[in-house]
Amino acid sequence: MTAALRLDGVSFSYGVVQVLADVSLVLAPGERVALLGRNGAGKSTLVRLVTGLARPAAGTVWVGDWDTRDHSPDVLARRVGSVFQHADQQLFARTLEDDVAFGPRALGFERSDVAGRVARALDALELGAQAREHPYDLPPALRKLAALAGALALEPALLVLDEPTAGLDRALRARVTRALLERAGRAGAGGGGAALLVITHDLTFAAELLDRALVLDRGRLACDESLAGLLGAAARLETLGLLRPPVAELSTALDLPGRPIRAADAARVLARVAGGRADP
Amino acid sequence: MTRLILERVTFRYPATEAPALEDVSLEVKGGEVVALVGSVGAGASTLLLVAGDLAPRVVGGRLEGRVSFDGDGPRAIVLPTPWTQLSGMAFTVWDEVAFGPANLGLPRDEISRQVDQAVVRLDLEALTSRDPTTLSGGELQRVIVAGILAMRPALLLLDEPTAELDPVGARTLWKLVRTLAGEGTAIVVATSELDALPAITDRVVWLERGRVAATGPAALLASDALVVANMGTTVAAVWRAAGLPAPYPLTVAHAAQRWERR
Amino acid sequence: MGGLATAVVALALTLTPGASPGSTNTVTAVSPGSRPGLVVFRTALLTAAPFWLFLLLLHDLPTTIAIGLRVTTMVASFVWVVGALPPPRLVEAMVAAGWSASVAYVFAATLAAAPVLRARARRIADAQRCRGLSARGGLAHRLRALWALALPLILSSLHEVDERALALETRRLVPGARRTSLSPPPDRGAERLARWGLVAACAAALGWRLR
Ligand SMILES: Nc1ncnc2c1ncn2[C@@H]1O[C@H](COP(=O)(O)OP(=O)(O)OP(=O)(O)O)[C@@H](O)[C@H]1O
Ligand SMILES: [Mg+2]
Repeated sequence: MTAALRLDGVSFSYGVVQVLADVSLVLAPGERVALLGRNGAGKSTLVRLVTGLARPAAGTVWVGDWDTRDHSPDVLARRVGSVFQHADQQLFARTLEDDVAFGPRALGFERSDVAGRVARALDALELGAQAREHPYDLPPALRKLAALAGALALEPALLVLDEPTAGLDRALRARVTRALLERAGRAGAGGGGAALLVITHDLTFAAELLDRALVLDRGRLACDESLAGLLGAAARLETLGLLRPPVAELSTALDLPGRPIRAADAARVLARVAGGRADP
Repeated sequence: MTRLILERVTFRYPATEAPALEDVSLEVKGGEVVALVGSVGAGASTLLLVAGDLAPRVVGGRLEGRVSFDGDGPRAIVLPTPWTQLSGMAFTVWDEVAFGPANLGLPRDEISRQVDQAVVRLDLEALTSRDPTTLSGGELQRVIVAGILAMRPALLLLDEPTAELDPVGARTLWKLVRTLAGEGTAIVVATSELDALPAITDRVVWLERGRVAATGPAALLASDALVVANMGTTVAAVWRAAGLPAPYPLTVAHAAQRWERR
Repeated sequence: MGGLATAVVALALTLTPGASPGSTNTVTAVSPGSRPGLVVFRTALLTAAPFWLFLLLLHDLPTTIAIGLRVTTMVASFVWVVGALPPPRLVEAMVAAGWSASVAYVFAATLAAAPVLRARARRIADAQRCRGLSARGGLAHRLRALWALALPLILSSLHEVDERALALETRRLVPGARRTSLSPPPDRGAERLARWGLVAACAAALGWRLR
């Protein structure tokens, strides 16, 4: 089975400053992966490479079996849906509905197919009530959701999302988590659901949605392991600019069996442990 | 003495009937950190604009009630969209940070001092000669905050100031907020990063649909009402979801204590 | 003859590199706003080229050369100003000369508008391509892509104006503000003399013309 995304020894520079150095990684279809790292580590640059907006100086970026050098971004859009860090720059149309339809229309899908994709994307993010509003009239947090809906409507095999929850409240973050879990889990035409590559500084959100962690450190891939494992290693996290999120911290502090990192898991374990002993 | 007072403020944006803020009263003194929490659209951003004298003066709209401010320094706001806040008039990060203080007409060596201090406080030393338009998201957000701090505001208003910062950078900023309060600055912050609040805030104001639904110390973030509304700390939320009885612990440290004494 | 002389002067000026940015504590940063003289020179010539074509269609050769040189001079000096004068330096210079910061900002923002718009257009086009809009193909196709770009370009600019206004206001870019000039561009005696000389030359030329 071909990987959803593969980077082979990829390097990239802005002028003389190298920001990505010899990065190699593979995402299997349906995999849910966090791309972490401190400010300026090169995460957004990697998004530009995956979407085809920038070309690697060395190495190859494979989206499925396409080399990004052989295909322009508008062709790659059939396989990659992306949300940029500053999603405002991604909204074009006069209503949210129209905006979400932009991608499917540009890719030339049938009218009824477009309508279906738009409805599914808006449903997944519970944006139905805002469908006829102007995207710029929405508060910044909802504009971010609008851009995400636009990417979902492409129904791609790979979603690359740059900080999809920055500035969102907890209820909206939960909405995003639900929508993406559904997309990653759904059996699509190709068999598996969409692979997710999610850039985030919000490790609480990451723990709810993602399984595997890639950490960039000054342009190099510093680690590639299970997210739960990484969140357990507090000292190492801090050298990478990261901190243990509250749930993982709580699991350690209370010595919860299995060291859960998701809120619901922690609550379940906590209830069991507390019920087994005297009421705390 | 720095003091911001909002008295029964109701505010409507231009061409809207429904108020974005309704009957809000709030007092913030120098040295205090007040946190505004609430879901998207609850009015926290609007409240900051009113407190910063931007609404209705620049935004338009209608204000009822009274807003008064006293302080030996300007009031300044960090908006939630860093990419619209660059002056567009600076070649370098250093000049960008100096934009505000220069407009205030401060003497040149004073500007230099303030800018250098803000640069150090936000960990921007390595970026001072960079072109501000090519920064990464988090780098840019730190430059914007530095540009505001360099103006030495008496009232500092922060709208989601850590949205794009890495976790260590966010922790640095939250510590800095406490430091600034220690220096006498009055601070109002709207954030969705609720778990950071117990360590920094004197008071929490919970806004719902433009109204103040509750006010109290940081412990409010562990109260049943806020936890149910998804506005409590993560630890409190986990505690409640586990079916353990109230009062819920506010932080991991509280939870550990409670667990020990069990 | 006079036309030729002014053209030579203007083109020579065009070739000189733009003002160096040197700010209070950065010494060697290369300014992103100022471009090397040669690039500006080429742009200036290219901008003027179409005029020559039309002149040649309408006039005989000597007239074409006479008017063409003048047009080239005008266009070249304008392009030179826009290309070689970094807006932030203009603000500094105007503030140092006693103008209010907000007036200087309006001037500079006008000069900076083109590159800002270009950057925004590129960002929007990038985002549209990532959602499947192809900019290749026949003329009709390209026109459609252009239209798809134009509307969001205008709308998003207008929208951002509101947010930028808030940001500038909070950083005290307000009417009447007395801005401190951070590193006023050096204004040497010779330069001042040259400026007055040019004003005098203009007056003289005008007088000579109206005689
Ligand atoms: N056009 C550019 N010219 C020069 N340097 C650039 C340019 N764009 C980005 N950089 C630099 O490259 C580095 C990587 O940038 P990138 O945007 O990929 O970081 P990031 O990991 O996304 O950071 P953040 O978490 O802050 O968004 C940063 O140090 C940034 O300043
Ligand atoms: Mg980034």
